[in-house]
Amino acid sequence: MSLRVVFITGANGGLGQAIARAFLAESPDNFVWLAVHSRRDRADELARSAPDRCRCLSLDVVSREAWQQAVAEMLGVHARLDVLVNNAGIHEDALLGTMPAGSWDRVLATNLDSVFHGCQAVLPTMISQRSGRIVNLSSLSALLAPAGQTNYAAAKAGVLALTQSLAKEVARIGITVNAICPGYIETDALAQMGEPERKAIQARVPMRRLGRPAEVAAAVRFLACPEAGYITGSMLKIDGGIL
Amino acid sequence: MNSIATLTQDIKQMMVENLMLQSSASEIGDDQALFGPGSLGLDSVDALQLVVALDKKYGLKIPDPDTARQVLQSVKTMTDSVAAHLNPPSL
Repeated sequence: MSLRVVFITGANGGLGQAIARAFLAESPDNFVWLAVHSRRDRADELARSAPDRCRCLSLDVVSREAWQQAVAEMLGVHARLDVLVNNAGIHEDALLGTMPAGSWDRVLATNLDSVFHGCQAVLPTMISQRSGRIVNLSSLSALLAPAGQTNYAAAKAGVLALTQSLAKEVARIGITVNAICPGYIETDALAQMGEPERKAIQARVPMRRLGRPAEVAAAVRFLACPEAGYITGSMLKIDGGIL
Repeated sequence: MNSIATLTQDIKQMMVENLMLQSSASEIGDDQALFGPGSLGLDSVDALQLVVALDKKYGLKIPDPDTARQVLQSVKTMTDSVAAHLNPPSL
């Protein structure tokens, strides 16, 4: 296998870290760019552990200009991009009746606008190559639309629609676009929960356990692999059987 | 063959390769419309690929849809735009 260049946003978080490690483990020919913003301690540590195959860069995913600069920096090194994983995301849960407008704006921008900017920034490169894999992290919330997550659920449902629409646009150019819908995964957000709350969540999952970040990462890696070339516009839920 | 004729042929060949057209470069008319009735039958995805290809091959930036509509009317309009970009008229 020849060099495959992978670009992951939200690379300092639990999922981003697991996805990066999955690509690093997949092949010694994979080079992984870790895009980070406010926190980068874990991403820096991972990059130090594999300095020849992994590099951090700063990226504010809601900024079109920042995306253009980040992609230019990456292309300056590798002149190609094979995989984009739009993983960056935030929660600001509240009932809509009392939700500050800023919470709506930030959650939509970080979870949905970022995917638009990211896809637009990398498309010229992937079109020139006539190949590419885009994997967007949506959420089970896009399908369940839980109370208290109007902003997050709407953003993640938007990610699904964007994924399916873009997949049709670029299918004949050799670019696939797919989405992952994780359910309850052992990430930083869930780690902060108390034991009673955690047990209540586990009781809702038919498998009676939370998902592991590595299990989500394995699905991302599969959708990005060359063998998944006929899969596009699809949504893969990883939820232990909730839906 | 003069340079404009060479450029025209190169652009036709670029179209055949990038858009995976069933017709050959010689079958594409210089003034043949690219889009719409009686045209070569390209669509908006083809247009996107042409915008990327013109930038990559010739450095011609097409910054907005209005410019794209002007540049991507025919092989001739593309050739004229590329030629003007490569050899800007002196003041």
